[in-house]
Amino acid sequence: MPDPLSVTFSALSDPTRRAILARLAQGEATVNELAEPFEISLPAVSRHLKVLEGAGLINRGRSAQWRPCRLEPERLKAVDDWLSLYRRFWEESFDKMAAYLEEVKQGEADARPKKKRR
Amino acid sequence: MRAQRKSVADSELLIVRTFKAPPSVVFALWSSAEHFKRWMGPKDFTCPEATIDFRVGGRYRAMIKSAEHGENWFSGVYREIVPGKRLVFTFAWENEGPSAGVEMVVTITFEERDGKTIQTFHQAPFRSVERRDSHVGGWTEAFDKQIAYAENIAKEQAA
Repeated sequence: MPDPLSVTFSALSDPTRRAILARLAQGEATVNELAEPFEISLPAVSRHLKVLEGAGLINRGRSAQWRPCRLEPERLKAVDDWLSLYRRFWEESFDKMAAYLEEVKQGEADARPKKKRR
Repeated sequence: MRAQRKSVADSELLIVRTFKAPPSVVFALWSSAEHFKRWMGPKDFTCPEATIDFRVGGRYRAMIKSAEHGENWFSGVYREIVPGKRLVFTFAWENEGPSAGVEMVVTITFEERDGKTIQTFHQAPFRSVERRDSHVGGWTEAFDKQIAYAENIAKEQAA
């Protein structure tokens, strides 16, 4: 069983599904409404919704006739938390990069006069 | 909240840094394993291992370690190399954990300004850059609004 974040990313790694989420960010919608902007069949949209629902990114009303889709924010929050870890990872690396660049420049200046050949 | 929404708007991780060195030098810090090992990793980490096969389709693999977090391997494949200008590679952690198996695409551009380099770093959890670029807007907006929503719910629950 894959971890939740992998499931979330797998669900997000499709442009149609991301477009569906963007639409749902503006409010709930029916399958028909969601299908409108796309040149794909209703069953294809339903398959995408199933993936999103399986990943916990949306939920759907229980009434059989009228099953509006809604966005579920919790999983996106997990993605954001995860990204902020990465942000720290790289930002701290780049701090070290800047410090190391100073060292490299210093070393260059000490070792040999700057002379560039093309 | 402002800060968080900002980070979310940049949701695919965008970090812009200016370095006091020309692009050729900054670029070399990515392309040479010797250089790479000297700076890679957050502040409490060292990077004792790195191999870099610097060509399109070539692989890199490296390990960072800290007393607290042990050894962490990551690796990827170079997709685009334009010396001193642009670098694209995949990135994935090899260890177990929440990020295992999620392949990311890193895109870095280097721009010279007054002898300095503006390095624009971008990382996204998608397999294909093309796909990502075609729908950045929708993805970002969805995040932007949803996180604000999530925060409100969290606040309500805390209250």
